[in-house]
Amino acid sequence: MRKTEITGMFFYNHSGLHPDPIDYSELLRFSFTFQNVTEAFTYSDFIWNEKNILKKIEENNFERIIIAGLMPGTVKALFSKAMAVAGKDPEKVMLASFNDYCSGSIFKTEGLKKVLASMISGIPYEFTGIPDELPVNKATLVIGGGISGIQAALEIAYSNNPVYLVEKSGTIGGKMATFDKTFPTLDCAACILTPKMVEVNQHPDIRLMSYSEIKEVAGKPGDFIVKVLKKARKVNVQTCIGCGTCAEKCPAQAPSEFDAGTCMRKAIYIPFPQAVPNKYLVDSENCIYLKNGKCKACVKACPVPGCIDLDEKDSEVTINVGNIILATGYKPFNALRMAQFGYGQFPNVLNSLEFERLLNASGPTGGNIHMRSQDKKGNWIFNTTTPRPEKLAIIHCVGSRDKNFNKYCSRVCCMYSLKFAHLIMEKLPEAEIFEYFIDMRSFGKGYEEFYERIRQEEVSIIRGKTAKVEQRGEKLFLRGEDILRGEILENTVDMVILSVGLEAGEDALKLAKMLNITTNADGWFDEAHYNLDPTGTCRGGIYLAGTCQGPKDIPDCVAQGSAAAARVIQSILKGRLRDDVSSVSLDRVEYKIMELSTVPI
Amino acid sequence: MSTRVHPELRNQLMQFGIGDWNACYHCGTCTAQCPLSEEGFLFPRKKIRLMQMGLKDELEASVEPWLCYYCGDCSTSCPRDANPGELMMSLRRYLTSIYDWTGLSKKFYTSELWELFFILSFAALVVISFLLVLPSMGFHFTRELTAEGGVQVNAFAPIHVVETFDWAMALVVASLLISNILRMYYKIIWKYGNMKVSLWVHIREFWLLIFNFAVQPKFNKCDDKRYWLSHWFLMSGYTIMFIVIVVYLPWFQTERILPIWNPQRLLGYYATFGLLFGLFVAIFGRLQKKEIKFLFSHISDWLFLAMLTLTAITGILIHIFRINGMPLGTYISYIAHMAVLVPMILIEVPFSKWSHLAYRPFAVYFQQLKKYAVPR
Repeated sequence: MRKTEITGMFFYNHSGLHPDPIDYSELLRFSFTFQNVTEAFTYSDFIWNEKNILKKIEENNFERIIIAGLMPGTVKALFSKAMAVAGKDPEKVMLASFNDYCSGSIFKTEGLKKVLASMISGIPYEFTGIPDELPVNKATLVIGGGISGIQAALEIAYSNNPVYLVEKSGTIGGKMATFDKTFPTLDCAACILTPKMVEVNQHPDIRLMSYSEIKEVAGKPGDFIVKVLKKARKVNVQTCIGCGTCAEKCPAQAPSEFDAGTCMRKAIYIPFPQAVPNKYLVDSENCIYLKNGKCKACVKACPVPGCIDLDEKDSEVTINVGNIILATGYKPFNALRMAQFGYGQFPNVLNSLEFERLLNASGPTGGNIHMRSQDKKGNWIFNTTTPRPEKLAIIHCVGSRDKNFNKYCSRVCCMYSLKFAHLIMEKLPEAEIFEYFIDMRSFGKGYEEFYERIRQEEVSIIRGKTAKVEQRGEKLFLRGEDILRGEILENTVDMVILSVGLEAGEDALKLAKMLNITTNADGWFDEAHYNLDPTGTCRGGIYLAGTCQGPKDIPDCVAQGSAAAARVIQSILKGRLRDDVSSVSLDRVEYKIMELSTVPI
Repeated sequence: MSTRVHPELRNQLMQFGIGDWNACYHCGTCTAQCPLSEEGFLFPRKKIRLMQMGLKDELEASVEPWLCYYCGDCSTSCPRDANPGELMMSLRRYLTSIYDWTGLSKKFYTSELWELFFILSFAALVVISFLLVLPSMGFHFTRELTAEGGVQVNAFAPIHVVETFDWAMALVVASLLISNILRMYYKIIWKYGNMKVSLWVHIREFWLLIFNFAVQPKFNKCDDKRYWLSHWFLMSGYTIMFIVIVVYLPWFQTERILPIWNPQRLLGYYATFGLLFGLFVAIFGRLQKKEIKFLFSHISDWLFLAMLTLTAITGILIHIFRINGMPLGTYISYIAHMAVLVPMILIEVPFSKWSHLAYRPFAVYFQQLKKYAVPR
């Protein structure tokens, strides 16, 4: 029987996490309770190289090796080789990964023991750590109304099951709604997104709760009790006809969030003309009545009596749902953190979301590219009165692939930067465009072809990131190394666009705590299994969709939205869903191991 | 010309400094950041590339490491923590060992034991020669050691003997340095450059060498100007001391204590101030480890600083004891002074950190020659 093989345990406690949340000494003690484990080592015991490992194998006559830890696969090759050299079966190197099966996600020693017990007994954890199945409520909650959330909500609603879609801002559509074109097909983003947004609003099975936030999640998988905070919109969604008279009369202004601050909106506003729901809302922070107690210009102007109630207070709604899909998206990297590029200091250094609005036909300039200027009140905005830029530079990897900021690649920046170059060429054929990149990551279907296409157009694509942007007179000065030509490139441009990366949303940690799921070091939500279950989480009935799980492009977001919906529909059809991984006790795992061990192989 | 790849180059370089240089993904931020990097002389990224590819010959023929003054901006802004500034520093150490034909430099840089052994044996030789050789040559200083005799430095260490020794030492050091510089010239301009520079250009641009030695204008091109000043004080202080001791020793080492405003004393005080100020900045920075340039001190850096500090301190002690008429203290500190000074000059100048006093200005000169070079 496999159980009796002499097993060597190797704890790969080289996780890179500080402090390491795993209690290795307890796990070491635990592994010795198994008879077949004769020796156990940790990464700090000796230098893990082939020679030393071979020595350990020969000294202890190991027949089987288990490497336990975070990402133990990184050292597996060493052990397989050493086993082969020792004349043992190189296939007998097992991995007890703390990353998979959510065992390590909470880093509870109890959970890790379950994985160890299964692996030492030679039965995969998939067979021993199966949670109970619980009955499921048919209603689903989707958190986040971006493209992923919209897709997931629609898919579930198409199966005639009720969906609550909770969106933090005044409109659904998310980041995609602010974009002009999508890469690589150059589809008009609004044209393909707004029909879906309207469908969400009109579908009888979807209950849209815009301008709302999740306050509390209780209950268990299949039967969650969620408290939703309905922020006071101060405009009755049922009776508002969206005429806009109130906004005309409103004297207060604030930068428009939807337009990434590139233009001003009123204190009573609609995020953008195609917003869903297409109803006005009041920005409490800037409303003069709410600040001074005097004004009410909007109330006087409103043609529908009683529609605007400036004294409305936040309210709370409790909903019961069976499944929750998290689609909270990302936030763009704050370019202010990279002071060397002068964002926030020089008016014509833009981040990509601002430029996206500048390109957009529904943006502040009607899709014309103009320089930034100051309005009468001193706000930096875009309008069509300023000259057009003649030379533009696009800097890639701002905040991404940088150990000082975010180590990871944000995946989409290269492609949207190329898209920018193309759209600038379209709108300003005379303009000179310089793209400063490090590596061009055109990873998707049709992406490399898109890159080739842009290269054929007259865009200077320069390998080598610039170090800093300086203002020289009206112009911006960039100094960079053109690596492929081997020279210093000094460039004076009118406008600099920073291709900022993606970062986990600011509410991600709060939500993770509320839902009792985990995030990785960068703040992205942890999936149940990197390869095999990217939409699931460690908890039953909670799924991930879109960029809240990690940076991705629109097609991937849509695919993941659909995938999460499929998991929800699966549970509804079955009428049951699996409980949390952590609900399985160690005793149960051990019982299951005993049960399975008696089965002849 | 064929190019040979040396895969072991990185491991060799790791003996001269610390850095995760293989992490570099060639974004070019460091080169763009560096105000000293210019057309045709791109660094640090290009040097990292050569190092990663193992192109030893090309690296040895490069002048760029000497053009870098290690402000550390490249390492701070490096998105990969690849530490390009430290690579340039390590390359300078490596190149010093390559220019040196005796092979001692490499030994000193890669083994502290070797360096310490040589330093201590030179120091011991100095002490022994003071205690044994001088009396045997007829210079009996036992009488002068007593307080009644007063301080008689010139009787204790006769000027013509010390001067002869100074000149001999300077000759040895200079011949080593010059031969190394010729090797540097051969590697940079002749062997791998594949270029020709006319004799006229050599003569015309020679002023750059003097100018760069005296002022270090390149150092002042760094964004951070503070270190240029402290370095200049250190350099000027040291140069004045060196000239005074080697060339004008009879004028400097006088029996009579001159008034305080006498140029002899004023020059000495300035030189001491310059040395102490420069040393303070360097040592304090290296201890505080706030700036990236001070983070990765090599053992050779510390040895150099320690010896220079000891030289300065013993020099000051001689002065204090002498003007206060304390003969025993004067003589002991004189011996100590020489015991530190001699190994410092014999080891640091031709073989170790101090060789940069010659390599740096010559590198600027060679860089200028390269600009006017025509293909051979």
